[in-house]
Amino acid sequence: MEVNLAAIDRLPGVRRIENCSLDEMTSLATEMTHAVYPHDHVFGQFCSIQSHVDCPPEKAFEYLADVYTLQEWTYSLRDFTPMAGDGMVVATDRSGGGSTRIYLRVVKNREAMTVDYHCAWDQGDRLWMIYLMRVVPAELVLAQPGSVVLWTNCRHPYYDRNPFPEEVPQGRKIWVGDMWPFFYAGHRIELESLKRILEYRHANSLPMTIGGPPSRP
Amino acid sequence: MASYMPRQVVDNSFFEHADETLTHALFRGVEKRHHVSPDETPLMMIVQAAHKLAERLNVNLQEEVDILMTNVIVPDQPFTGCGADVGRALGCRPDWILDQHNGGCVSFISMMAHAQALMTCHGAKTALLCNVQNAAGRLFAHEETRKLKQAMIPGDGCGVGYLVASSESPVKAIVQRNHCEFAGDMALVRADGSAWWEPSLACGYVDFTETKLAQIVNRANRVVPEAIREACRRANLPTSEIGTLITNQPNRIFLRNWREALDVPPERHVSTFERHGNLFGAALPLCFEEAIESGQLVPGNHLVLGGFAHAGDFSAAAVIHWRPT
Repeated sequence: MEVNLAAIDRLPGVRRIENCSLDEMTSLATEMTHAVYPHDHVFGQFCSIQSHVDCPPEKAFEYLADVYTLQEWTYSLRDFTPMAGDGMVVATDRSGGGSTRIYLRVVKNREAMTVDYHCAWDQGDRLWMIYLMRVVPAELVLAQPGSVVLWTNCRHPYYDRNPFPEEVPQGRKIWVGDMWPFFYAGHRIELESLKRILEYRHANSLPMTIGGPPSRP
Repeated sequence: MASYMPRQVVDNSFFEHADETLTHALFRGVEKRHHVSPDETPLMMIVQAAHKLAERLNVNLQEEVDILMTNVIVPDQPFTGCGADVGRALGCRPDWILDQHNGGCVSFISMMAHAQALMTCHGAKTALLCNVQNAAGRLFAHEETRKLKQAMIPGDGCGVGYLVASSESPVKAIVQRNHCEFAGDMALVRADGSAWWEPSLACGYVDFTETKLAQIVNRANRVVPEAIREACRRANLPTSEIGTLITNQPNRIFLRNWREALDVPPERHVSTFERHGNLFGAALPLCFEEAIESGQLVPGNHLVLGGFAHAGDFSAAAVIHWRPT
């Protein structure tokens, strides 16, 4: 059945030039444009950040697609160990104290240059902390060389309430969701690290992957 | 308004974490603060400030205090406040004495609200409101507690204010909001985990739930501008017309965020944080006095008070049309 545009125009909250005049539209836009936005309004439910990186998009994608590089550019994910068979990796999230395990799986799409990290603290059966990343050629969107890296997190209800309290290591008081109000700041800091590392690796023609647990000195 | 500041001024060399770069952003920015000495009891501080106030306003406190209210951070007695002692020392006989534990860092506003209610419903005419912050000298000066990273922040002081019922009604709006869901994130604790009434040699200090730091910062950023905006809305005052803003002063980050959220320029936000530290409940009356004395509070302008208490279980704001008589 074809969708009737008149029906679409009657949907509450749908504004198209057919049902909302240009005057109404600019009036609404004026009303919605504030000088200052409370942090919660902008980052309460979704945390989207972005940065320009002076590194070709293919190389940025290659780096992000290698799950082991997370131990280089993230603030606190360390000690990566592959799990049997299915591409899952287990690591330590030192921001949760030394005994917090984090389970990770990377889902990538080379054509769209998307890299999604599906993760969870404490257990690997339900990977609900999902870090959505996308690399865009900066040539297309900014008319300059390099990449634009987009990064979004959504506030899954588990951030507010840990559904697996039985998996919490003894003595740990903090829950990953306690830090949601700092996600914007924390992810900005990590994105800055990512940018600097990508630019360093590219400028010095260094490999863009780590590929497996690094050999330690 | 009048104040009493403890004699002893303590600079940063007194503390373990004197190196600014090593401390957390929330614990930076105080250059010096006052610490109470043992003889500077809440009673003594309030009486000194009240005498100054009586002289300044030419008020006979013996006759003209219907309501006497106090908020003391570290009271001499846990089961009673010092209101009655203050009454005796000042020679006054108020109809109402309220020693209140609620309201914390914005208890000055909740005391204003109580006084307004008593004046409206019970015919009281005058109120003496007293805030004492003495946690710095009493809790954070000890050689063990002064090692804590938050020890540099508190500073002591006493501020008192005098309210008179009049047909002018300069208090245009008061907003009080209890956020009971956030209760319990700040507490008096001891290093050994014992309660304050239990025998122990461990030092006591005020602490907050550190695992909730992100949430406390977030709620402070939210609830204080909300309360202030609501008070301004009730007073028909656009926030762009706030003449002087005074908030409690827990740290420089909150001070910055609150005035940014309200779009109030720094020169209209009166604070003594750098030289007095976190004055807890005494910040509002002390900064109020400072704003009058320095000429920053201009007659005819609107003064807006606001802030939050106890890591977020209470927020409040008030709008005052400043017309000194």
